[in-house]
Amino acid sequence: MDFAQRVTTSLTVLITGFVVVFVVLILLILLIMAYGAIVSRAQKASADRKARKEALAAAELETDNAESAEEAAAAVVTPAAQGGLSDEVVAVIAAAVDAMYGEGAVKVKSIKKVPQSRPVWSTAGILDNTRPF
Amino acid sequence: MEILQGFLDAIVGLYESSGLCYLPWQNYVMILISIFLLFLAIKKQYEPMLLLPIAFGMLLVNLYPSIMAAATDLVPVSDYLASHGGEAANYAVTTLQGVDYYNVPTTGGLFYYLYQGVKLGIYPPLIFLGVGAMTDFGPLIANPKSFILGAAAQIGIFITFIGAIFLGFTAAQAGAIGIIGGADGPTAIFVTSKLAPELLGPIAVAAYSYMALVPIIQPPIMKALTTKKERAIVMTQLRPVSKLEKIIFPVLVVIVVAIFLPDAAPLVGMLMLGNLFRESGVVDRLFKTAQNELMNIITIFLGTTVGATATGTVFLDINTMKIIVLGLIAFCIGTAFGVLFGKLMCVATKGKVNPLIGSAGVSAVPMAARVSQKVGQSENPTNFLLMHAMGPNVAGVIGSAVAAGVLLSVLG
Repeated sequence: MDFAQRVTTSLTVLITGFVVVFVVLILLILLIMAYGAIVSRAQKASADRKARKEALAAAELETDNAESAEEAAAAVVTPAAQGGLSDEVVAVIAAAVDAMYGEGAVKVKSIKKVPQSRPVWSTAGILDNTRPF
Repeated sequence: MEILQGFLDAIVGLYESSGLCYLPWQNYVMILISIFLLFLAIKKQYEPMLLLPIAFGMLLVNLYPSIMAAATDLVPVSDYLASHGGEAANYAVTTLQGVDYYNVPTTGGLFYYLYQGVKLGIYPPLIFLGVGAMTDFGPLIANPKSFILGAAAQIGIFITFIGAIFLGFTAAQAGAIGIIGGADGPTAIFVTSKLAPELLGPIAVAAYSYMALVPIIQPPIMKALTTKKERAIVMTQLRPVSKLEKIIFPVLVVIVVAIFLPDAAPLVGMLMLGNLFRESGVVDRLFKTAQNELMNIITIFLGTTVGATATGTVFLDINTMKIIVLGLIAFCIGTAFGVLFGKLMCVATKGKVNPLIGSAGVSAVPMAARVSQKVGQSENPTNFLLMHAMGPNVAGVIGSAVAAGVLLSVLG
């Protein structure tokens, strides 16, 4: 291959490669952003519905707790049919609270879900990955 | 007396057929080189999963070259006719230096058969299947703009191509050398086996050695191209990615890439299949096999047979030195362009993107992302760039497969 041929080939490949790789990946960016928006809007709608159900469950718990004031190490019985929290979750939360504050006579008044900016497991995962440094 | 004579004849025969008699000096040099590579793999832990089989394959082929012998014997036609009573046979005829030879099928060497997986482009896509099963594309889906950084780092491939052409390689060989800059072992082997199989040994050794050296090569370039202020930028938390998005991603990517670049389809297709195994959650056994047993089996076969292409005559050549230098240039340019585009994005987003994640666009997963994390953390100890750097890192895997598709379609 003489000099001129080399220049032609190398520039052809450089420009083709540059353009094609960028075009394909930019196309992917646009598509991912598009379906990301669609999916998150659909999921937000269903998440709103879920949040309303959980607010109901919390309200139910408050009224139930007021009725069982004499119970020590309170295991609040909520009808499982109410959407959101099941018996076991409530029992676990009550037991955890009891273990933290101890000595019985713990009254669970209400259980509300706190919105998390960074889920605890993610934090643990990140710390795990970065600990070697 | 006869027994003694027979014994002596046997010993002489053994000696004459032993390697001591017919191995050229280049093979002995290669044996020493392979021992050095074994040292690097075991003691220094340079990508041992690949460098150890490669080094050992190199050792074996230089001790016993027939281990890679092809499954045909070249028998002169005249000899064949003489031993078969004048009956001509149906074999293909090769003419060398005016003499006709029959290609008589025979049994090939052990590595000859295992090497077919490399020659026919089977192993690299299967490795990508395992890689896809091990990769979490979440950070990329959460911030798709990382694809730009993954694309920018592949420019190193094409610039190295220019360097290789001007250093005397053919276009196809230059393409195979350039792909080292993609920092992706299976992609490099896939492209080289199709464009320049004669250079597979040196290119594979160069590619995997540089991947192991990423933590040493990248930081100086990253520090030279960024300011202290830019390195200390803290990026905002990535949004959580839903399961549905993670399932749509592989299907979407394979459709787009395979339609526009069919040559990249085997690599990208298998990468996305592995990822779908992971994200769908319904094929647990396939998912586990893809990333464990299958990966390990293919790594063994790929490593040893790629190493076995590094015979003395191929490796101890000035071209190998050129390939090693060009490979380093490819890496450095890829890192540099990744960081430069990172700076561009930093300016475009008014300081929201830390340019250090740009260097993770070279697809050495997860090494390059960890390097970004480390350099960022040395500037600002509370800065967690790892997840942000994983976006460009995995985008680089797709980017290098796309670049490979371009090279194969233009030069193949």
